[in-house]
Amino acid sequence: MARVGVFVCFCGANIADFVDVPTVVEEAKKIREVKFAVDYKYMCSDPGQQMIRDAIVQYRLTSIVVAACSPRMHEKTFRKALSDAGMNPYLLEVANIREHSSWVHQKDKKAATEKAGDLVRMAVAKSIANEQLHEISVPVTKRALVIGGGIAGIQAALDIADARIPVTLVERSPSIGGRMAQLDETFPTLDCSQCILTPKMVDVASHPYIELIPYSEVIELNGYVGNYKARIRKKASYVNFKSCTGCGACWQKCPVKVPNEYNMGIDKRKAIYTPFPQAVPNKPVIDAEHCTMLLKGKCGICAKFCEKGAIDFKMVDEVIEREIGAVVVATGYDLWDATPYEEYGVGRYKDIINSLEFERMVSANGPTGGLPIRPSDGKVPKSVVFIKCVGSRDKAKGIEFCSKICCMYTAKHAILLHHKVHDSRAYIFYMDIRAAGKGYEEFVNRAQVETGAVYLRGRVSKIYQKGDKLMVRGEDGNLGQEVEVEADLVVLATAIVPYKENPALARLLGISYDKYGYLSEAHPKLRPVETAKAGIFLAGCTQAPKDIPETVAQASACAAKVCGLFAGDTMKKDPMVSTVNKEFCSGCQNCVTVCPYQAIVTEDIPLGHGAKETRTVAKINEGVCQGCGSCVAICRSMAINLAGFTDPQIINEIVAI
Amino acid sequence: MITLSYKGKNTFLEAVNKKSGSDVLECYQCGKCVSTCPVSNFMDFPPREIMQMIKLELKEEAQMANSTWFCLTCSACSGRCPREINIPAVMEAVRHMAIEENFHPDSKRVKNIRKFHEIFLDMIKRYGRNYELRMMAEFNIRTRNLFKDMHLAPTALLKGKIPLGVKPLKSKKAIKKMYEMAEKLEKQNK
Repeated sequence: MARVGVFVCFCGANIADFVDVPTVVEEAKKIREVKFAVDYKYMCSDPGQQMIRDAIVQYRLTSIVVAACSPRMHEKTFRKALSDAGMNPYLLEVANIREHSSWVHQKDKKAATEKAGDLVRMAVAKSIANEQLHEISVPVTKRALVIGGGIAGIQAALDIADARIPVTLVERSPSIGGRMAQLDETFPTLDCSQCILTPKMVDVASHPYIELIPYSEVIELNGYVGNYKARIRKKASYVNFKSCTGCGACWQKCPVKVPNEYNMGIDKRKAIYTPFPQAVPNKPVIDAEHCTMLLKGKCGICAKFCEKGAIDFKMVDEVIEREIGAVVVATGYDLWDATPYEEYGVGRYKDIINSLEFERMVSANGPTGGLPIRPSDGKVPKSVVFIKCVGSRDKAKGIEFCSKICCMYTAKHAILLHHKVHDSRAYIFYMDIRAAGKGYEEFVNRAQVETGAVYLRGRVSKIYQKGDKLMVRGEDGNLGQEVEVEADLVVLATAIVPYKENPALARLLGISYDKYGYLSEAHPKLRPVETAKAGIFLAGCTQAPKDIPETVAQASACAAKVCGLFAGDTMKKDPMVSTVNKEFCSGCQNCVTVCPYQAIVTEDIPLGHGAKETRTVAKINEGVCQGCGSCVAICRSMAINLAGFTDPQIINEIVAI
Repeated sequence: MITLSYKGKNTFLEAVNKKSGSDVLECYQCGKCVSTCPVSNFMDFPPREIMQMIKLELKEEAQMANSTWFCLTCSACSGRCPREINIPAVMEAVRHMAIEENFHPDSKRVKNIRKFHEIFLDMIKRYGRNYELRMMAEFNIRTRNLFKDMHLAPTALLKGKIPLGVKPLKSKKAIKKMYEMAEKLEKQNK
């Protein structure tokens, strides 16, 4: 005879305001199997849990029903309370009377109370048929895959590898370093980006636990947490890295010139190139889209000048397979294309550039040797207008969100401009100055006081040419008047958008992304580095715009999560998985087709005891099964059962109402 | 529409900063001075906007504004300024520069303001305090606007708001000395 205990929670006012909790308790007491029913203000608190633990012992209960919030919230909490009292944790049922009743029926307390009573009756009925279940152990492959070799990927890889866990770092471009390698100095301390980043890049290359695969992309990911299998396409570099010394003879002689991505297209690189002198690995690759030899079969000058004979035009793409246990995604950001801002003359006026172009110009290793110039005539600008929120916070033409870092880097640009061109002035059009961070407000004040950068409050309405100047018109809200600035150069702080191929990558990995293409975290506050898919984590701007300190913090958090996952030799997994009754299975394999996790395979078993003939039946991989129940629904011979959601349990629930 | 063009140096800003001993660039446009100022309602441009004008090198606009003349130098603003700017000193600097440079000598408004200040100082020199009735009369005569505010006179006189005479201070010598010192300082500063 079952002995059920019912515990109804007030959830402060969340439930009690709209559901008459004592009535629910009285209703529960009417059920024959219920031997104990009680209410409490916060059932999840320690006194609440103690009530459950005490009742289990005192009333010799065989299953427990907690009527409270969603099981997603506190099922684990209450299961632990059961375990602590020596009871199998899977004898717990949660009746969700908050999300399913009080929150959605706030206008009708009577009906909400009735519904709560029904939910409790169903849970009690189900719990009577609950069986003791035990956690499943799954083996773990202790190797992490990091996608993206910017500062986020570098930090995550280093932190994981320092814990002596092997890491495979995949980078799509020929060198790691990412966006940070393009920056000159970084706010709020103005330390040079190269000085703090390149040592980390070298650490990655020389770390015994890091396998760096540059110039490659992840093309497939199968499996489940702890047991993923990744396929990585390594693009043909046409250079044998083993014999190449990185001497540079090849790119000095190469006749083909291509806009240089590293310098935002301000200067040209060759078709065989290393992205920048501090690249890691510091070996050139041939850009197959532009190489004359690969396109037309003529040239081959690089091969002639290579003393080591490292150039191999016959090289082909290679697919590498790696078994891994966890993935860190760190694909970074792009700058929004400001072409829709026709009123600014974007694309029409040469002297309008974006902030990364300005960054490359003022950078010590930049194409202009660290001096900002006007692209139109090469002169050094004296009056520079910076426009913030171009595309950001603009529902009509751009994106709705704030790109977060532009306020700070624009203040930095004003300071850098002053450092490089002493007799210059920065005019900054802004809507708000968002300088929330350690030392950030002080940094903006420094830009204003030390360099005399003038902040004009307003969005620029239009830009037009007058002589060799650009006239920038906008309102200065601080003056309460319309102003027009004579500018030599205009720098647009364009919005930060995620790496353009994020949606495709998300589909490949089986994780979700938002309408802008940012990859979605599992919970915006409490699980900001995990995705909804177990074992896949997010670092850096792939999740949302963020600055370097935040990116590094998130990357280290990812590393901590990966290390936690790999702490034991096996992983515990909920026992809610399907099992096949081989006697009943007809071998139709509908379940194989319908399973979204590829958890079902087939096996051949003897037709009868000792028989030589065999027949095919379904077999479920417990490690992969996520307990969705699709196979149970499709099985026509009712041979599949899902632990925790067996037929008797479900039928009991239905009968109870 | 105001056109901003950078001429290579912030001469006005630097002059104001030097004269006031404050850095106007510190101003982050919060507007606390405006809501503190007891006379900001009467100004055409409140102190915050004057600060922005100085930053933007808008010398003529700042000097044309009546704000610097309305400023009572009560220092309520600077007492509350989160950026520790001596706002009355800045206002004074702009005002002094306007006088020194004989700014807009043909403007009637500027002329009247100058005359008012001259008459006021004359009253102090003579009596050691303000002889209000005489001051008003003299101002109306010198600005050739005899009946200005005359309709207020009967009520004000009846209520005793404007005394008919004045009691000069006893120590005229001390006042004379003060004036001599002020003139000496002015010469030194030039």
